[in-house]
Amino acid sequence: MQITAGIDIGTGAVKGALFRSDGGENPEWLAKRTERIRRRDPLDLARGAYDAMLAEAGVEPDEVAYVATTGEGENVDFRTGHFYSMTTHARGAVYLEPATRAAMDVGALHGRAIRVDERGKVLTYKMTSQCASGSGQFLENIARYLGVALDEVGELSQQADDPEAVSSICAVLAETDVINMVSRGISTQNILKGIHVSMADRLAKLLKSTRVGEGMVLMTGGLANDSGLVAAMRECMAAQKLDLALDSHPDSIYAGAIGAALWGAFRHRKLAGLEQLAEAS
Amino acid sequence: MTVQDIVNRCQALFDDLDFQAVQDWKAAAAGRKAIGYMPIYVPREIIHAAGMLPVGIFGGGDQLEVIHGDAYYQSYICRIPRSTIELGISGRLDCLDGMLFPSICDVIRNLSGMWQLLFEDKYVRYFDVPQNYRDDVGGSFYIHELQQLRDDLAEMAGREISDEDLRQSIAVYNDNRRVIADLYALRAKQPWQVPTSEVYLLLRAGMVLPVEEHSQLIRDYVAAADAEQRPRRDNCRVVVNGVFCEQPPLGLIKSIEMAGCYVVDDDFLLVTRWLLDDVPLEGDPLENLSAAFLHRSAATSAKFEPDKQDKGRFLIDQVRDNGAEGVIFAAPSFCDPALLDRPMLQDALSAVDIPFTAFKYAENTGQLQAIREQAGTFADSIKLWSA
Repeated sequence: MQITAGIDIGTGAVKGALFRSDGGENPEWLAKRTERIRRRDPLDLARGAYDAMLAEAGVEPDEVAYVATTGEGENVDFRTGHFYSMTTHARGAVYLEPATRAAMDVGALHGRAIRVDERGKVLTYKMTSQCASGSGQFLENIARYLGVALDEVGELSQQADDPEAVSSICAVLAETDVINMVSRGISTQNILKGIHVSMADRLAKLLKSTRVGEGMVLMTGGLANDSGLVAAMRECMAAQKLDLALDSHPDSIYAGAIGAALWGAFRHRKLAGLEQLAEAS
Repeated sequence: MTVQDIVNRCQALFDDLDFQAVQDWKAAAAGRKAIGYMPIYVPREIIHAAGMLPVGIFGGGDQLEVIHGDAYYQSYICRIPRSTIELGISGRLDCLDGMLFPSICDVIRNLSGMWQLLFEDKYVRYFDVPQNYRDDVGGSFYIHELQQLRDDLAEMAGREISDEDLRQSIAVYNDNRRVIADLYALRAKQPWQVPTSEVYLLLRAGMVLPVEEHSQLIRDYVAAADAEQRPRRDNCRVVVNGVFCEQPPLGLIKSIEMAGCYVVDDDFLLVTRWLLDDVPLEGDPLENLSAAFLHRSAATSAKFEPDKQDKGRFLIDQVRDNGAEGVIFAAPSFCDPALLDRPMLQDALSAVDIPFTAFKYAENTGQLQAIREQAGTFADSIKLWSA
């Protein structure tokens, strides 16, 4: 059994996960850490999260066989290797919920629908373009305009009784929509729900285009625990006749870090088999 | 000198679109002349033998705003001719006394015509190369082309270019090819020690520096790289193909490396590696240059392949000889030589189960995230799922 670490540097937060695994089934999750970036250096936060996980698990640095980064982690100097976010979210989603056949990864600046197999291998994917309207950053901006804490967004959204539609195409237009809604006296609940539906409508279309037809869909990424978005996703999937169960997991935000750590273990085993790792520093 | 010192110098030469290094070389002695050349290959030995400085012109990159250049070309062609026109019209190439436009595609051929009209006081030559590799057919033709170039440059230099001049220049370029081969071998063996972004800058420095100085610069780099230990990453090993004419932005090369790929071979700046071996010093120098072109040159997409059965063999050898695990096809948008060859090369790779991915770029491509994602997922698929 080997100890491997995954470090996921996102736009809004740095996440870490530490595992003991032989690269196959039944890995043991030893520690996890998340740090909001808040204008700090993500590389410093990554180092801090890594050290904290090792301390929590009582593991020495030289006991770690593979440090895998993901997200924007290519510049982490203590990494062994790097895996792309789609690859790691797919694996993390299957770890968190083995019935997952699609991961819906919604982060601060992107949304991705990833169809996977039972091993967590990416089969196909679709993602939003560079427009920020389907992203967490957009939602965070709106919450700030409305004077609502991010933690409250999901619950407030689910209290809506008459959601107000917003532009689903452009973040700039949507923000203008929201300003108009506030001036027209639309309730915060209905504004937030309208935004969630707008985002979910786009995300559900992405999901549908991956042609996933079985298993369940797991939300991952920073917005996975926004209950309002999860609820809106279910509604939009039903409206688009996408007959699949969708859920989130309390550790969904760690999906990238989990996937990185587990792929690191998988890769370590493969390299050991190829007798290549002995040469690696 | 440290690696960083050398890289910084190369970066400064790369960034300098005013070709100050060429101006300085010319100013160092009266009567010096510089001859520009476009991709892919010209026999720089002949320019050198005339006492002139060969200068590689590889477009304006991503730092040059093209204003005039767009007026000369339709929109559905690559960018290198527009930015080259821009360099010329803006006076940045005034330091050149002539330009060679080697045969690679219609766009570059047309550019040679435009250059003749735009810069009537400069020596301009469309340098044709053989498409038939028999010594008595393509060879005869090519020797005639070489002789014509020799005569033209001799007239410009005001002196004869002797066989001995040519042999000395061939020897100097043989040395340059050998040090570059050593550099490439080191990168293939220890790619974490020799990043491709640095190799690329080193080769680009050779486009403006005298060849002797360039060879020494590479020797210095190899020595410095040997002395400096860099961390090894768990990256996959790839060959990059299709980048021989319009150059990708440096950021694209760095993006491929950041995405988890060690580039262990490529077709960047082929003029430096077009001829695969030493050109013999004995015998007739033009016949030797011709034979090297016909029989021992890089069978890339930039060279006509008469036998369909051999299409892709050179690329497969690049993969196998360098221990690569896959190929990244990166070609400029609208690049006929690269993009028309690509399906045939992909078929050849598929036949021997070598994975590949493909994308297009322009020299001023600014949005690299999509390329990084594509290269990254390709690297992941190799690392996790290839045999």
